[in-house]
Amino acid sequence: MSPIRITLAVLAMLAMHAAWAAESGMALKADAIRAEPFGDAKTVATLSAGDKVEILKKDGGWLQVKSAKGSGWVRMLSIRKGEARKGSGDAAGLLGLASGRAGTGKVVATTGIRGLNEEELKSAKFNAAELKLAESFATSRPEAQKFAAQGKLAARKFDYLPAPE
Amino acid sequence: MMRSMKWLCLVVLALGCGAASGLDFEQELKKALKEGVQQKSAAPSGGAQGGNLLSGLGGTSQEEEIAIGRQIAGNLLGASPLVKDKRLQKYVNNVGRWVASQSERPELPWHFGVIESSDVNAFAAPGGYIFLTRGLYRLLANEAELAGVLAHEVGHVIRQHHLKILQQSRLVDLGGKLIAKQVGDNNAVQKLIGSGAEVVARSLDKSAEFEADRIAVVLSTRAGYDAFAFPEVLQQIGHFAKDDGNVALLFKTHPHPDDRLEKLGQAMGGRFDAVKGQALEKRFYRLKP
Repeated sequence: MSPIRITLAVLAMLAMHAAWAAESGMALKADAIRAEPFGDAKTVATLSAGDKVEILKKDGGWLQVKSAKGSGWVRMLSIRKGEARKGSGDAAGLLGLASGRAGTGKVVATTGIRGLNEEELKSAKFNAAELKLAESFATSRPEAQKFAAQGKLAARKFDYLPAPE
Repeated sequence: MMRSMKWLCLVVLALGCGAASGLDFEQELKKALKEGVQQKSAAPSGGAQGGNLLSGLGGTSQEEEIAIGRQIAGNLLGASPLVKDKRLQKYVNNVGRWVASQSERPELPWHFGVIESSDVNAFAAPGGYIFLTRGLYRLLANEAELAGVLAHEVGHVIRQHHLKILQQSRLVDLGGKLIAKQVGDNNAVQKLIGSGAEVVARSLDKSAEFEADRIAVVLSTRAGYDAFAFPEVLQQIGHFAKDDGNVALLFKTHPHPDDRLEKLGQAMGGRFDAVKGQALEKRFYRLKP
């Protein structure tokens, strides 16, 4: 096997792993599993908070899941996707913490990009040139309208949501 | 009967006195603020509508609000400069302005930007200055997700969450000092906001975060985007380990993504079942690695 082949094989395995990991989930709260992705569809089973599910498909705000309790459709917001912890292999993040960045605010991560902590924000000095640059990118309302039209985005009415309870 | 009427009059009189002296204090405070605003006259004019947007001590005009936000934005950029990618910055302003146009403050001089930081976070300053980090941008999969993140921050601006914090703490604290010293110095605005861009790292009330989450899905929907893109970002953020340095500040200042998803789910219920929106994955501007 050539090194390239091996690399490809490893990459393929990693990709499979990632795909598999992305398909598991956990119920954040008790909710109904329904026969179809509609609020008034028949309830097939009921998930309890903490129940593990396998996610098969997504449709709008609904996820098709398989679980020990039964299979069907659950509202996406009732499910916390994945168990794998993303970013746990991220050297910059872990390094930042391990090297006590939270204390001194002076540690540079391996990427050369610093994180932002309270100390850095507190001691930040006004940067007029950078602010001017930021303001130079401003988009006017008509420009935004044009940009939306290019993406076939149409404005529509929708009321604000009341706080739950 | 007469007696009780007299008492009532006295009480009213006393209340009136209190209110009058409160008004004087307010005037003084406003004067100090105004001087600060004039010194920073480079601030873009917020138009004439100004007026008192807030009740309570030291109501702040739109012009003052923008001057405060501008100072905070300049400080934040002092800590983390912009990602040097013009097309990215313009793209983020296009998406942000479109989303902000769906709010009740479409005419604010909105500004958006991506800043150089591996941290996963986004910041809003009064008057419409909004920044997200490269670390957060990297997590996004499509334009609807970007719109959702920006809409959450727009929510903080239109409900004046940070401004209220400043008014409740700094403004009142420092207001006394400002007046005592008869200050008209050019650092008045800076004094009001504390040190640097500290205020953006301040934890808001949990209910303010949940409110901004609800606004995020509504403004996204109004703008034609998929309402479920923003919850998808919360899912992504929830996958970070609690001890990951890149989410340390975000997790410190926000409720856990799981709690946010749950609260948002309760609020959204079935209201979005019949609403279809766009993700615009193809148009999404991808960062150069």
